[in-house]
Amino acid sequence: MPFLQLANVRKLYPNAAAAAVENFSLDVEAGEFVSLLGPSGCGKTTTLRMIAGFETLTAGQIVMDGKAIEEMRPNQRNIGMVFQSYALFPNMTVADNIGFGLSVGGSAKAAIQQRVREMLALIKLEELGARYPYQLSGGQQQRVALARALAIRPKLLLLDEPLSALDAKIRVALRNDIRAIQRKLGITTLYVTHDQEEALSLSDRVVVMNHGLIEQVGNPFEIYNFPRTTYVAQFVGTLNLLDAVVVEPTAGSVQIQGQPAHTTSLAGCSQGEQIRLALRPELLALKSTGQADENRLAGVVETIAFLGAVVRIQVRVGEALLALDEFNNPQLAVPAVGSPVFVYFARSSCLKLL
Amino acid sequence: MRRINWFAWLWFTLGALYFVLPLWGTLIFSLQKRRGVLSLDAYSAALGDPRFVETFVFSNFMAICTILASLLLIVPTAYWVHLHLPRWRPVVEFVSLLPFVIPAIVLVFGFIKLYSKPIVLLGIPLFPSLTTSNLSTNLLLIAGYTVLSLPYMYRAVDNGLRAMDVGTLTEAAQSLGAGWWTILWRVILPNLRTALLSGALLTFAIVVGELTIATFLARPAFGPYLALLGNHRAYEPAALAIVSFLLTWVAMGLIDRVTRGTRDVVAGSH
Repeated sequence: MPFLQLANVRKLYPNAAAAAVENFSLDVEAGEFVSLLGPSGCGKTTTLRMIAGFETLTAGQIVMDGKAIEEMRPNQRNIGMVFQSYALFPNMTVADNIGFGLSVGGSAKAAIQQRVREMLALIKLEELGARYPYQLSGGQQQRVALARALAIRPKLLLLDEPLSALDAKIRVALRNDIRAIQRKLGITTLYVTHDQEEALSLSDRVVVMNHGLIEQVGNPFEIYNFPRTTYVAQFVGTLNLLDAVVVEPTAGSVQIQGQPAHTTSLAGCSQGEQIRLALRPELLALKSTGQADENRLAGVVETIAFLGAVVRIQVRVGEALLALDEFNNPQLAVPAVGSPVFVYFARSSCLKLL
Repeated sequence: MRRINWFAWLWFTLGALYFVLPLWGTLIFSLQKRRGVLSLDAYSAALGDPRFVETFVFSNFMAICTILASLLLIVPTAYWVHLHLPRWRPVVEFVSLLPFVIPAIVLVFGFIKLYSKPIVLLGIPLFPSLTTSNLSTNLLLIAGYTVLSLPYMYRAVDNGLRAMDVGTLTEAAQSLGAGWWTILWRVILPNLRTALLSGALLTFAIVVGELTIATFLARPAFGPYLALLGNHRAYEPAALAIVSFLLTWVAMGLIDRVTRGTRDVVAGSH
């Protein structure tokens, strides 16, 4: 039995036209790190808040560790939560913040002090126990918030966009720390973010949400390489979307902007059907010749953007604009804007989207 | 070198004179009880009067009771409105401002009319007349003072709550296992310290000098004593006015000190 089970969860706010969360079902195994990914307003935070107990369910059930928790008050659930705005208590020192949950729970003073020391060591801020939150940087404050949530030995850890308020470098460092701590403690974790890179790099599984509904659940590899819907494909990473016409479904042949091509994902399509194919920029290559089973589209270079490790080239193919990524190296021969080129890609790399 | 703004200085000087001259006049007058020399006779007479001590102690005690009552009433109310009924905030604000519109005399007559006889609802006696014993009349007095202090206390608490992220702090505390009273006592109240102190000191200042309600409820408060003294003596009321001013300044100095000490903590929390 999964550790956390959400079954047909629905949330409809009073006077709202549509449900914020609709028919949300998800099983999370013990020790798993699951991210809820989607744009703002997609219902991911509402879902997290329903698990925490800050929002009531309109319908559905949430079971944690074999117990239905949707009727329990937030302070009875034993779920640790980390907020985007840190939410440290400004009147308390770092140590008092971390020890707050234990002191509320009636733990002995010595036990609290011991646990606070453990937590400070875990977040590598042993020296800062006597400081007040306003004396810490954003990254340090969020570490303390994490320690505070973990100090009560929660059954489940919820993180609501914990890195959004931090700058890029600290975000990456803290992201790695969060994952390392989660692995070390083996705590079941739900992580809400709108940042696909964060979700893909941290999670065992990613839940992509849109308009209150789950679009796809899968591990990062599946989500990135095999997006099921146009929405997932577009939200996760950069993507080329190409309109195509099915020529011969059994042979996998299609026409893209009047040029012949092949794909391996035409199951269930009929001849003459208009379909949409998705191609990741890194799966396209500019070459003079390719292998026999590769697709080849002729086009003209429209723009070239230097992104550091990667050079992004946009090629006009008929009416479509294809973005493709080349790894940068000093010997890279970048074509001139306006020059005619051939874009090659494997048949298996174009995905038909729902 | 910066040019001196004569116009600004002119207005500042006029304003200062408007404030200082009456005070200076009162001070000099209060020192002239003995003919021909400046002395503190008026002060020793006023402060030595047993009725002064009696009424001053009574009003101070009432002020403390009022502060406690308004804290108990306003902090949970304002907190709850912030957290769960934000749409009701304008209504609550309007109610909190009513004491500015409704004169104290109306309030006290309402009190006397309503509470001087036993309150009976549908044949069931709810409580007896509140104006027949000193204790129950004191309760009425505290209730009246609480109403008068409402605009100041509510505004102070409301400002304090606005300065912190009440919702998230509450949720953080809840997720750590805290119940409502723990949250109020250990998270919200300590972060409202400055706001509560300002509200409390303003309430104190209002209550200690209040005249109307105390007079009509016939309680031995400091306000009515000052008024009575003003009718019969010349120098002593001036001396007490100066003492009151000094007390107010000490109170304001206290507010400033405490506020300055905690401003960084509150500002740094966001």
